[in-house]
Amino acid sequence: MIVATLALLLALPPLIWAAAMFDRIGTGRGAIVMGPIRNGAALMLRPNTETEAPDRLNRLLAPGWYLALALVGLSVVPLAPGIVATDLSTGLVLWGACEALTVVVVFLHGWSPNAPLPLIGAYRYVAIGLPAMLLSMFVLIGAALPAESLSVVEVVEAQRGLWNVVRQPLGLPLFMALGLAITLRGPFDYADGAELAGGTSAEESGPALALWQFARASMLVAFSAMAAAAFLGGHLGPVLPGPVWLLLKTLAVMAATVAAGRFFARMPPARMLTFLWVVLLPLSFVSLALVGVEVLE
Amino acid sequence: MTDALFLALSALAIWSGWRVFRVDSMVRASFQLMVSFIAVGLIAVLLAAPYIGIATIFMMAVEMMVMALFMVMFMMNPAGLNPMVMVHQHRFSVAAGSLAFAGLSAAVLLSDLPVRPVPEGAEVVRDLGHELLGPSMLIFETAGVTLLATMIGAVVLSAHSGRYGASDAGSRPPGLTPGGAPAGRKPEGGGGHHHHHHGGH
Amino acid sequence: MTLVSVLIVAAALIGIGLYGALSQQSFVMLMMGLELMLNGAILAVIGFWAFSLGGAPEGQLLAIIVMAVMAVEMAVGFALVVAVYRKRQADMTESLKTMRH
Repeated sequence: MIVATLALLLALPPLIWAAAMFDRIGTGRGAIVMGPIRNGAALMLRPNTETEAPDRLNRLLAPGWYLALALVGLSVVPLAPGIVATDLSTGLVLWGACEALTVVVVFLHGWSPNAPLPLIGAYRYVAIGLPAMLLSMFVLIGAALPAESLSVVEVVEAQRGLWNVVRQPLGLPLFMALGLAITLRGPFDYADGAELAGGTSAEESGPALALWQFARASMLVAFSAMAAAAFLGGHLGPVLPGPVWLLLKTLAVMAATVAAGRFFARMPPARMLTFLWVVLLPLSFVSLALVGVEVLE
Repeated sequence: MTDALFLALSALAIWSGWRVFRVDSMVRASFQLMVSFIAVGLIAVLLAAPYIGIATIFMMAVEMMVMALFMVMFMMNPAGLNPMVMVHQHRFSVAAGSLAFAGLSAAVLLSDLPVRPVPEGAEVVRDLGHELLGPSMLIFETAGVTLLATMIGAVVLSAHSGRYGASDAGSRPPGLTPGGAPAGRKPEGGGGHHHHHHGGH
Repeated sequence: MTLVSVLIVAAALIGIGLYGALSQQSFVMLMMGLELMLNGAILAVIGFWAFSLGGAPEGQLLAIIVMAVMAVEMAVGFALVVAVYRKRQADMTESLKTMRH
């Protein structure tokens, strides 16, 4: 348990750096390798902006909560057989709670400055984030069914014969919709969009913004590790040791998520809401029903 | 260790539960309530109920988020950071609340409670699953059907188009003073533009 | 941590919830009072399950039912708030004077 926690804390900063690099490739937002460090350092030197009558406590804490939720979510992912930071019989439910609280934290981040643009971003993000989170839970129940357990360790072990991504082809793409939503990117970036001048972050600058970006990148890492564990067999794989496999799969999911965020266009919020409730959510039901049929056989 | 954690979480649950009715903003109130639920969920985890505890946190995070959403929708100032006091029959309520607490506590302290703790190493989550889809399946499924009926009822109640025409036809806002002229949006002939609310989350 | 201490915390939550449900003018705040009472109920149920039921799963089932009741209360409550708001453009209990008689 302590070994796993230390390993996660050591692996996280480089992975966050990698996430920030993925975000820069092909966007022309400065140097790819050193850019994140330079921008972060520059932000640390700038002062935080003040707004009129903000909710100071929540404004201060929101980025920290976001980071904490990413860390708790990451802690249920097993690194190798028997090595997991939080060995919980209901690990998937804990991850679900982290997803739900992420929506709350993004709302708080937009609500607490007491300014119009952040509030609009937060408000429409909640409407989109809740159904996205809902559908991810159905998909994760699908991943838990063959394992007959809610523990992520068991979910990984159950994929020894065949990875869930083959067994449940709808699972990973649907789960990636959640990944895009909780890491505020691409088609689901209704919170921090450029058309709202940064949305929930519109009034932020300085260390608070740096921490928010850091937390957003660590949420991408946590999501990717979770997706790798639930659908790509986690640490399972030939020749190479388990943690290396998990690292490679996490990086692959990270790259795929960032690419998907760039590839898909964003719809108006109302149409996206309809799309989520009418198309994606029923698709997740179908996926779950197919898994049920497969498990029965 | 467990005792200290329990005391801290209980204090947090009660304090944030109290703050729900004492903070200025309704958004703050709903998140205070969420903190109270999270503390109770963590106490449940301490009490060897990992599924119920974490599921409580999960459910209540979503519910309170929806609640905050409605707060922003209905409040006079959307950011909700202005002071507000909206209470009635205050003394009666304080008395009723204190009486309920005193009565329940007395019942707890005076009655002889059985002691049969959860056995060591019991697989409580597995047991719960077998119970839900085994002997108690009828209860569980009834809850499911009730939720479905609730969803339909909520959509019907909150739908804009009603059986007798638009549901806000002839709606007049209350006056700013008792019996005063209607405040805010005036009803228009064709109904004007309407806010469409979606019910049944 | 004993059954008595857990139940007294639950009683405190129920007491505060009752105060809120009776004293608040806004519908949504009133619902928060009800939710707080149900929060105490969940804590009491889990306390009884953990200390006096010998691990019988029906105790956990009851907690799940309480959660379902909460969801129903929320959904119907908000639907009513929306319906009242459409009719009276207010979300205060006093705006429903016609229900007094």
